[in-house]
Amino acid sequence: MPVVIDHLLSKVEKPARYTGNEMNSTTKNFDEAEVSFAFCFPDTYEVAMSHLGMKILYGILNDLPYAICERVCMPWVDMRTEMLKTGTPLFSLESHHALHEFDIIGFTLQYEMSYTNILDMLHMGGVKVKSADRAEGDPIVVAGGPCAFNPEPLHQFIDAFMIGDGEEVIVELTDVIRQGRKENLPRREILRRLAKLEGVYVPCLYQDAYNPDGTLKSLTPIDDAAPAVVHKRIFTDMDKAYCPTKPPVPYMQVIFDRIMLEIMRGCTRGCRFCQAGMLYRPVRERSVDKLVQLAKESVENTGYEEISLSSLSSSDYSHIAELTERLTDELGDKRVSLSLPSLRVDKFVQDTLSQTQRVKKSSLTFAPEAGTQRLRDVINKGVTEADLVNTLHHAFMNGWSGVKLYFMTGLPTETDEDLLGIAELAKAAAGAYYSVPKGQRVKGLRITCSASVFIPKPFTPFQWCAQDRPEEVKRKQFMVKDAFAPLKSAHFIYHDSAVSRMEACFAVGDRRMSDVLYRAWELGCLLDGWMEYFRYDLWLQAFQDCGLDVDFYAHRERSLDEVLPWDHIDAYISKSFLKREYEKSLRAETTRDCREGCNGCGLQVLKGVCKGCE
Amino acid sequence: MMLAFEKGQEVRFIGHLDLMRTIQRALRRSHLPIKYSNGFNPHIRLSFAAPLSVGVAGKREMMEVPVEEGTTPQEFMDKLNAVLPACLRMVSARPISDDFPTLMSLMAGSVYSIHLPRNEKTDLAVSRFDDFMALKEYVAIRRTKSGENPCDIRPFIQDGHVETREDSHVIHLTTIATPKEGGLKPTLWLRCLFEFAGAEAVEATIFREWMLARNQQGDLIHMEDYQHA
Repeated sequence: MPVVIDHLLSKVEKPARYTGNEMNSTTKNFDEAEVSFAFCFPDTYEVAMSHLGMKILYGILNDLPYAICERVCMPWVDMRTEMLKTGTPLFSLESHHALHEFDIIGFTLQYEMSYTNILDMLHMGGVKVKSADRAEGDPIVVAGGPCAFNPEPLHQFIDAFMIGDGEEVIVELTDVIRQGRKENLPRREILRRLAKLEGVYVPCLYQDAYNPDGTLKSLTPIDDAAPAVVHKRIFTDMDKAYCPTKPPVPYMQVIFDRIMLEIMRGCTRGCRFCQAGMLYRPVRERSVDKLVQLAKESVENTGYEEISLSSLSSSDYSHIAELTERLTDELGDKRVSLSLPSLRVDKFVQDTLSQTQRVKKSSLTFAPEAGTQRLRDVINKGVTEADLVNTLHHAFMNGWSGVKLYFMTGLPTETDEDLLGIAELAKAAAGAYYSVPKGQRVKGLRITCSASVFIPKPFTPFQWCAQDRPEEVKRKQFMVKDAFAPLKSAHFIYHDSAVSRMEACFAVGDRRMSDVLYRAWELGCLLDGWMEYFRYDLWLQAFQDCGLDVDFYAHRERSLDEVLPWDHIDAYISKSFLKREYEKSLRAETTRDCREGCNGCGLQVLKGVCKGCE
Repeated sequence: MMLAFEKGQEVRFIGHLDLMRTIQRALRRSHLPIKYSNGFNPHIRLSFAAPLSVGVAGKREMMEVPVEEGTTPQEFMDKLNAVLPACLRMVSARPISDDFPTLMSLMAGSVYSIHLPRNEKTDLAVSRFDDFMALKEYVAIRRTKSGENPCDIRPFIQDGHVETREDSHVIHLTTIATPKEGGLKPTLWLRCLFEFAGAEAVEATIFREWMLARNQQGDLIHMEDYQHA
C-alpha cells in the first residue's frame, strides 16, 4: 500500500524533495516486480540526486525485467517531524511504498557522518535497526560504496556489504535474494548464499576477539560459507560498463544539476592520504568515441545544459585534449557547456583552459593539499609551487579571477613551517595574478584557501597514523588564520575538528564502534554531516556510555603489525606496499605515477587487470 | 507559440522557477525549432502569464515559447508531450504574431475550483459562503517578501458559487488580477473564508481551471481565446 504524504507536503520546506515523478524516473509497477530494491541515500534528496553511483545502480537494477528499484532519501528535519507526528513511515520517491515493504534495502556509504541517518531511515521505514532483530520475512539490508571497505562500525545493522565496483555484484545479490525468496529459504541461508558471492561480506558470519590492550586480536569466519578474506569486485572494461544516460532529472535544483560523464575510474597518482586513489584502482578509461556517444545520448535524454567530466583526476585522462575538443565541437551547437572538475595543477594545458572557456567559465579549484614541497613529497602529491603559479598565471590571463585551493592540516610529519607555507602559497597565487598586466586581467582577485583536518583512512599508507588532537588542530588553524590576516585578497577557512574526530573514529573503527553509533542515534544524533545538527556533546556521551575512548580510535598511532579491523577485506592493495609507502613518506621520498612504471601495489596478482603492471 | 498546459497534482509543489527549468529542458529534448536568446549564454526565453501558487495544480496554465518557422501547433504539442513527464501535459497550442501582447500583460483573472472534503468544519465554512461573498471589504494579512501587509481581498473577487456533493464541497471561484496589483492566492482567500466562518482551516485540493484575459469590450474571457486586434 502506498503511503499517503499529501497532507504533509504543505507543511514542509522544499516539498519537491519528496514527490518524485521526475522525468526518467522509473514508472514500473511495484506489485508486478519479482524483487524490489529500495536504493537508500542516507542524506537529503539534493545530495542524493547529485551522486553518480546511485544513477548507475538505479539504471542497472531497473533494466532487469524482474526487478524494480526505487529511491529513498533522508527526510529533512521538518518533514521527519511531521512524519513522526502523523505516524507516516519513510517511503520511496517513486511509488511511495514504505521501506519495510521492499525485499532489499540498499544503502550507499559515501561518508562516515551519514551513519546515524542509516539507522534513522531504517527505523522510520519500519525496519528493525539491528540485523539480529530482523525476522524471517523482513527486508535484507545491504550496503556498498567506499566506506564499505571498513564495514565493521556498521556490522550490527547491515546484513551484507558489497565491496568494490557495484555494477555486477548488485545484480548477483539481487538475484540470490529473489531466488531465496522464491524457494522460501530461511534468512540465514540467503545470507550464507550471499556470503559465497565474490565481493560480498556478511558480518554475522564472523566473530571478533580483542587483546588485553583493546586492540583487535582477530576477526574470523564462524561459518563455512564465509570466506576468510573478501576480495573487492573490479569491473574491468569501462566501455562495456553501464553509463546512466537516462537518469531522473530533478525538478528542484540539486548540488550537481548536470550530466556527470564518468571518463575514467581510478587514479594513478598514489597520493598517500587519498583513499579513493587506492580503492578505485586500477585506472580504467572510457574511449573518446564512447564518451562522445554517451555525452550525446545523455543530452538527448535529459535536456541538461551542462556536462561535467567526472573522475578522480580528469586532466590525467590520456586523451583529455582530444576529448574536450570533440565534446565542445559536438555539443557547442546544442548549447551545452562543458566543465572540468578536479583539475590538477601540474598537467593543465592552456589548450584545455581555452576550450572550457569557449563554452562556459567554471570555477577553478586546485588541491595542493600541503603548504611546502617537503610535505607535498611526504604525501606524494606530485605538484610544485612553480606548477601552480604557472597554471594560475594562464588562468588569470584567460579571464579567471577567482581560485579555490584545498589543503589539509595534521598530515603526518607536519611542522608549523609547513602550515605557514599555506599562506605563502596564497601569496604566490596572488603574485601570479599581479604578473598579468592590468588591462588583461579581470578585476576582483579572490583566493580561497580551505583546510580540512587529516583523517586516517583504511587502505592508505597513512592508515596507521594518528589524527591531531582537537587542541592541536585548533592551534594550527588559528596560526594559519593569523598568517592570512595581512593578505588582502586571500582568505582561509577551515573544518570543524570535532566532526573530523568522529569521522576518524568511524573510518578506522572496529566492531565496537557500532555500539557508539547505536547509542548516539538513541541519544538523538542525526544529520551529523550538517554542522547545525552535529551534537558533539551527545557523541562524547555515547562514547562514555559504551565505555570506549575517542583517543584510542582517532589519536593513537598504530603499530605496523597491529591487526586492523579491515584486514579481512582485500582491496588488492597489499599491506607490504602500504608499509613501504608509509616508510618512504617518513623520509619525504616520492613514488612515481604508476603510468611511468609499476610500483607493485598489489594489483599485479590479478593478471591483466591493471595495464600498468604488464 | 502560445500554449496551455496542465500542471498535475503530482507536481503541484514544484515551484515556478523549477517548472520553468523543467520545461526548458524538455524543449531541449524535443528537438523543436526553438529560438534561443542571443548572448554569451544562450537560453530559451519562456514567458508565463502568471505563476501558480505552490501546492495548487493547474488545468490550463498559459505560457509562450519563442519558436522558429517550421512547426505546426499539433506537432509542437505532440513532440513536447513525448518528452515531458506524464504529470505535465500540453493541452492546446496556437501560433501568435510577434506583436501579440505578453501573456503577463493579458492576465486579468483566474478560475479556481477548490475541493473540500465534507465534514463539520467545511459544512460550517460553506454555510457562510454567501455572506462572505456579500461583504464589501475583507482585510487579510498578506505575507510577502517585504513582510506582512494588511490588504483588502474583496476587490480581487469577481464571483463564485458552491457545489455540494455527497462527500465534498467544490467552490468555484473567479478572481481578478491586474498587472500592477497582481492576483490573489486561492489559499489566502480560503483561509479568510474559514476565519470569517469561525471554522478551523482544512486542507483543500485546489485547481486553477482557467486563466483569464479581457477582450476589447472589457469582458473576462479565457486567455487562450484572446484575439489580438
